[in-house]
Amino acid sequence: MIGDLLYLIFAMIFGLLLLGIHRKVIARIQRRPGPPVWQEILHALKFSFKSTWIPQTASDTLFVSVVLIAIGIWTAAFFVVLAGGNLLIIFGIYMLHKIVEHGFGLSSGSPYGKFGGVRSVISAASEIPLFVSVAAVVIFTGSLEIGDIVAWQEQAGPLILAVFPAALAMYVVILSKFPFSPFSIVESKEIVSGYKTEHFGVWRAGLEACNGLKTYVLLLTFIAVFFGPLPFLLILLAMILITVSISFICAFSPMLSPFDSVTIQTLFTGLMLIYVVYLGVYG
Amino acid sequence: MTTAGGTPLFLLEFGDIVISFTPYTTSLFILALVFTLLVIASRPERQLDIAFGTDAYMTKEISLSEMRFRRFMAIACGLASMGAVVTGDLFDFCLFTALVGICNVGIVAAVKSRHVQNAAYQYGLVALAATVLLFGGSAMVAATTGTLSLPILATGTLPAVPLAVKAFIVIGVMGEGMAPFYAAKAEMFRAPGAPYVIMCSLSSLLIFLRVIEVVVQL
Repeated sequence: MIGDLLYLIFAMIFGLLLLGIHRKVIARIQRRPGPPVWQEILHALKFSFKSTWIPQTASDTLFVSVVLIAIGIWTAAFFVVLAGGNLLIIFGIYMLHKIVEHGFGLSSGSPYGKFGGVRSVISAASEIPLFVSVAAVVIFTGSLEIGDIVAWQEQAGPLILAVFPAALAMYVVILSKFPFSPFSIVESKEIVSGYKTEHFGVWRAGLEACNGLKTYVLLLTFIAVFFGPLPFLLILLAMILITVSISFICAFSPMLSPFDSVTIQTLFTGLMLIYVVYLGVYG
Repeated sequence: MTTAGGTPLFLLEFGDIVISFTPYTTSLFILALVFTLLVIASRPERQLDIAFGTDAYMTKEISLSEMRFRRFMAIACGLASMGAVVTGDLFDFCLFTALVGICNVGIVAAVKSRHVQNAAYQYGLVALAATVLLFGGSAMVAATTGTLSLPILATGTLPAVPLAVKAFIVIGVMGEGMAPFYAAKAEMFRAPGAPYVIMCSLSSLLIFLRVIEVVVQL
C-alpha cells in the first residue's frame, strides 16, 4: 500500500520531469536556453504555496471539485495500468479528461476559460484514434486486459511490429495532449492559458500534478501495450525517448488554428477507421 | 461469464432485465453519479462577456426559475446516463440514450439566447434522426440473434451480428452528440450554467464509451 503510494508520487514527479525535458528540448531546438528540466516540478511546488482564491463569478463547488476529479481519474488510471486492468477503462478515462478540461474552463465564468473549454469539446475527434488503437490491439491479442496483452507480447514479440498504424494512432493521441503541440488549442496563448487561466494557487498545483501523472500514465500505457514487458529502467528511458521525439515535432510545427486542428484530426481519424475496418475484415 | 468490460462484479436482476456492474461499467456509473451530485450541489457561475471594442464587460445572471428547470433536466440527464452505462439490455440502452438526447435539449431549452436555441433545435433534429438508426439497429440485433440481453450476446454462442447493424448502433449513438455530429451541439456550450452544460458533454461521452463495450461484445 505504502509502496504503491510512493510509486504514485514518483510517477507524478517523473511525469513533471518529462514535461520539463519537453520544454528544454523545444527551447534548445529553437536556439533558446530554455528553463531547467525540473522547472515543471518547481512550478507545482510554487503554486502549492501561492495564495489561493476562487473568482467571485465562479461556480464554487464545480471550480474546486473538478481539480479533485482530475487527480482522481488519473490516479485510478495509474492503478488500472499497474494492475494490468482493462484497456477500455484507460480509454474512458482519457476521454473523460476532456470533461475535466471543459469543467475547468466553464466553471470560472472567465471568457478565456470558456473558450478553452469549448475548444476542448470541439476537438473531440482527437480521441477516436485511441479507440482505433484499442480495436486493432483486440483483433490481434483477443483481449482488452493490459496484463493479457503484455503476456501475449512475451510469446509473439512487440505489438508495434504487427500493428504499426495503431501505435502511430496512439502516438498522435499522446502528442495532442502534450503542451505546445500543433493540436494543443485548448491552452494556446491567444486565450491566455485557455481552460486553466483562472485556476491559481493550490488548484493550479493540483492541475500540474495531474498533468504529470497523466503524462506518465499515457506513456506507460503506450509502452506496455506496444512494446511489451520491459525492465523498469528501460521503461523510464523509453518514456524519455518518446518525449524527446514529441518535442521535436512540437518544435518544428506551428500551433494550428482550431479549424485546422479539428480538420486534420478528423482526417486522421477517418484513415485510422478505414485501417481498423480493413483489419477486421482481412486481418 | 466475462464481457468486454471485464468479469461482472455483481448482477442486479429485474425479471429478465439484468443490470450488469463490470469494472468498466462501474467506473462509468461512478463518474455519472459524481457529476450528478455536483449538479445538485453546485450553483451556476456568472459568465463574463467583454463588450467588443470597449473596456466594459457584462455579467450574465441566471434567474431562479431558469436554474431550477435546468438543474432538473441535468439531474434527469445524469440518471439517464447512469441507466445507459449499466443496463444489460440493448433496448433499454437505446431508450436511455434517446432520453439523454432529449435531456440535453432540455438543459439549454430555458436559455434566452438565439444562438443557443438554434443550436439546440439543430441538435434536436440530429438526435431525433439518430434514434431511427439506434432502435433500427437494436431491432435487427433481436431479429438476428433472438435476444436483446447483453450478457447473453456476450457469450458468443449466438449467430454473428452483421457489421452494418453494429455501425447503425454506433452512428445512432454518435448522433446523440459525438464527433462529427457535436458540431450541431457546440453552440449550446455558449449557455451560462457550467454545472448543467457540462452534463451535455459528459452524458454523450459516457454513452459513447458504453456503446464501444456493447458493440465489441455483439
